[in-house]
Amino acid sequence: MTIASDLKQSLASLKSMEAALSTIALRTENIESKRTLHETMMVVHEVVTELKNRVGELEREEFQYKGF
Amino acid sequence: MPGWLDIAVRSIIFVVVLFLITKWLGKKQISELSFFEYVNGITIGSIGAEVAMGLERNIFHGIIGIVVFAAIPFLAGLLSLKNKKFRDLVEGKGSVFIKDGKIMEDNLKKERYTTDELLELLRRKDVFQVADVEFAVLEPTGDLSVMLKKENQPLTAKDLNLIVPSVKEPQTVIMDGEVMDEPLATIGRSRDWLHTELEKLGVTIENVFLGQVNSYGELTVDLFDDKLQVASPQERPLILSTLKKCQADLELFALGTESTEAKQMYTKNSEKLQEAIDKVSSILKG
Repeated sequence: MTIASDLKQSLASLKSMEAALSTIALRTENIESKRTLHETMMVVHEVVTELKNRVGELEREEFQYKGF
Repeated sequence: MPGWLDIAVRSIIFVVVLFLITKWLGKKQISELSFFEYVNGITIGSIGAEVAMGLERNIFHGIIGIVVFAAIPFLAGLLSLKNKKFRDLVEGKGSVFIKDGKIMEDNLKKERYTTDELLELLRRKDVFQVADVEFAVLEPTGDLSVMLKKENQPLTAKDLNLIVPSVKEPQTVIMDGEVMDEPLATIGRSRDWLHTELEKLGVTIENVFLGQVNSYGELTVDLFDDKLQVASPQERPLILSTLKKCQADLELFALGTESTEAKQMYTKNSEKLQEAIDKVSSILKG
């Protein structure tokens, strides 16, 4: 396993967590919990964006890692 | 009319009258909050019984008696809503038995309570030592309300500076295998949603004795068939553990990479994620 594939795996699970947090935030009745969940989702989204950039960089540097 | 038939008819009439009267007077009469309501409840019951059994009595006189006895506390209730002095007179005032941790002997004497009776009332509130009590008051209903000293009060989340998410009341959406449409609509879900959730749990609706939806929209069920095991909702704890894993991964990447720029990016993001996890973990712990 290379760093790039590990990174992509983490990226994928973070993306799925972003979606799961969003689902729970929508289902939660309590406004305050809803807001906290939504904020967490936003933070996860920021992390996802930065990781995506890093994946792009890695793919440019080492072409053989190119994939999904 | 033979006597037995007369009694049956009278009994039915008085059951209906008493039912209507108690409906009219409301919950307060049943809980007998004041001396007034206590006495009235007994009297209305006695009149009903007396007229139902006493064949020589006129039914309508009995009904008039009951209505009068019901009307007076009703009017008194309306008046006491408006006037504090009248309220104190009718409903009575509580008397303080323990204040600042000290027993008020004069008030005990005034209410003719012995020390044994005071101890008994305290024991009913699970207090066995008078020294634990900061304040206690005898309510007009005869109940003793007890406030313990702060160090003897149960520990709360506030005392521990714990942050706990507030939750809404759960809604009961399935009873005896039947879908309750009204609570389902209250939480804004449809029957389709419920069927999907049941399918996820792998149970049929006929087998569900009771189903409730909590504040996070998770369905928990109790089945008729107690041998079957139903999984408790795992979604939230799963999210928390995955988030934690991702955060640890980021730290690993930060250690693994040789580029300083990337190292900084990983560290920053892992810290950001950690902060978010700390904030949300009280909700996700379940």
